[in-house]
Amino acid sequence: MGHLTLRGVRIAVANRTLLEPFDLDVLPGELVAIVGPNGVGKTTLLRAMAGFDAPASGEIALDGTSLQTLVPHRRAQLVAALSADPEAPNGMTVREVALSGRFAQRRWWDWTRGPDDDEAVDAALARVDLSDKADRAFDTLSSGERQRAWIALALAQGARALLLDEPTSHLDAHYAIDVLGLLRGIAREGTTVVSVLHDLNEAAAFADGIAILGDGRLLAYAAPAIALDPSTLERAYGIGFARVYVDGEPRVFARSTNGRAVARPFEKVRDSGRI
Amino acid sequence: MAVGRLVALGCAALGALAVGLFLGGSTLGPGDVAWALFHPHAGGDVVTIVWTLRMPRVAIAAIVGASLATAGFLLQGMLRNPLVDPFLTGVSAGAAAAISIAIVGGVAAAFVPALGFAAGLGTALLVAALARRGSGIDVERLILAGVSLSALFSSFVALALTRLSSGGAEEIIAWLAGSLAGRGWTEVAFTLPYLIAGFVVALLAVPSLNVLRLGPSVARGVGLDLARTQWALLVAAALLTASAVSLSGIVGFVGLIVPHLARRIVGTDARLALPASALLGMALVGIADALSRSLLAPSEIPLGVLLAFVGVPTFLYLYLRPRGTTRLWGT
Repeated sequence: MGHLTLRGVRIAVANRTLLEPFDLDVLPGELVAIVGPNGVGKTTLLRAMAGFDAPASGEIALDGTSLQTLVPHRRAQLVAALSADPEAPNGMTVREVALSGRFAQRRWWDWTRGPDDDEAVDAALARVDLSDKADRAFDTLSSGERQRAWIALALAQGARALLLDEPTSHLDAHYAIDVLGLLRGIAREGTTVVSVLHDLNEAAAFADGIAILGDGRLLAYAAPAIALDPSTLERAYGIGFARVYVDGEPRVFARSTNGRAVARPFEKVRDSGRI
Repeated sequence: MAVGRLVALGCAALGALAVGLFLGGSTLGPGDVAWALFHPHAGGDVVTIVWTLRMPRVAIAAIVGASLATAGFLLQGMLRNPLVDPFLTGVSAGAAAAISIAIVGGVAAAFVPALGFAAGLGTALLVAALARRGSGIDVERLILAGVSLSALFSSFVALALTRLSSGGAEEIIAWLAGSLAGRGWTEVAFTLPYLIAGFVVALLAVPSLNVLRLGPSVARGVGLDLARTQWALLVAAALLTASAVSLSGIVGFVGLIVPHLARRIVGTDARLALPASALLGMALVGIADALSRSLLAPSEIPLGVLLAFVGVPTFLYLYLRPRGTTRLWGT
């Protein structure tokens, strides 16, 4: 369970179409990465997939249930969504943060906490390897641990699909790999995972499928070896790319203006303010 | 541990209200007051003072303190802004303008609290309507609308003050300074339904306030209907604030400071912090009212003035002393 289907979905902001209608299927057990240049509509698409905002047209459904018709509470039982850089709450422990995910499973006015809530939170914290830090104040965690705590919140929610917006944007290589490995494991256990990623090679290394957005449309949606085609990437980003193979796996590099491949993945060069 | 602190706050609130019964403009011995409490139908001056003068005042002090502190807690939680005061919604300015105009126009004193209530609530709804964006409420628009309308309505008060004979001006000024003098069960009965509605919504909203600690986007992610919650919290806060204002005039400071102190004492979990705010508000206003009646007896110090005198230095000490924490939000 957790089959996410997009049919004829058009993404627009204030009547300006960002993405022409497209179809997309994410199967249970898959980790799918959404990549594309800044401003192409990745976050807007993710918000539509989370049911926060309806798409301009078309339908987004999980296991046949249209997300747009659901009240927020019911929707959160099906889809968990983490926005980019949630603010760190003050005065909350890691356990309290994870417990907040249980809001989706209780009636909105219910003050109590049941044994199922404690079980779900314990399991979620164990899954992200934060059991020993459960009673620490959230703001004493490192960036990588915070990201894992947010994932624990989403897992505690008990949804069938997990959507994330740039979960690795503030993490160094070690923690980025750590978080992406965790997400792939979660996908393998049956929760559908869709993540916006900035780093094309992170997507290449961890995703089962990559959706490349660019030029106002879905340019490609395929396994990394097929999707990360230099000509597709050039169309998306408006700059040349080189593809190399590391241990038999594809990796791509943006070409700087004089035609040489630069040392770092393209996105990190362009958004160097972020790193 | 935090639960124990909440119980301690409850005892403090009860203690403060008891002090309010034993202190007052007329000098009654503690024995007389205690005797009167157990013989409500005995008749005589002491019984009259305790049961028809002090008891309603103590009840009103408790109601005003609990309402303003709860309203402040709701708004600070909803807007995630520690500097939010319940009067930010324009309730006090709207009520003050309506009451000033009523006094200039010679409206009977009996109608003044109801008028203040209606105008306060109306102003808050106007502010909320101006702050609408999509189906929800935009935090920055709310603050802008609240500050602007408050400024507009304050100028009505100033205009009324310049247009009045000294007697009417004194009436307005007394009202602006906040006072419980001369209030009784009639006023309480008038506001009771609105108070109950406000507190019921506040209690139902506790789990929502807890997920709002994580910010609106995470709260929506876990299934909070953000727009509906914002409207519910705003209306509840406006009902509580308008009720308090119609009972006591403008008692500033409680709604801003008490939620901070409550979060410091019991933490940010709304299941504890909301009752803690209400109890602490009761205790603070209860003590302040007792002092306002007794310090310069037989004349009274305005309640709002006394609260500012005692509360502001305490607050500054807590937050701005050199080695104190400067973090307003959280524990």
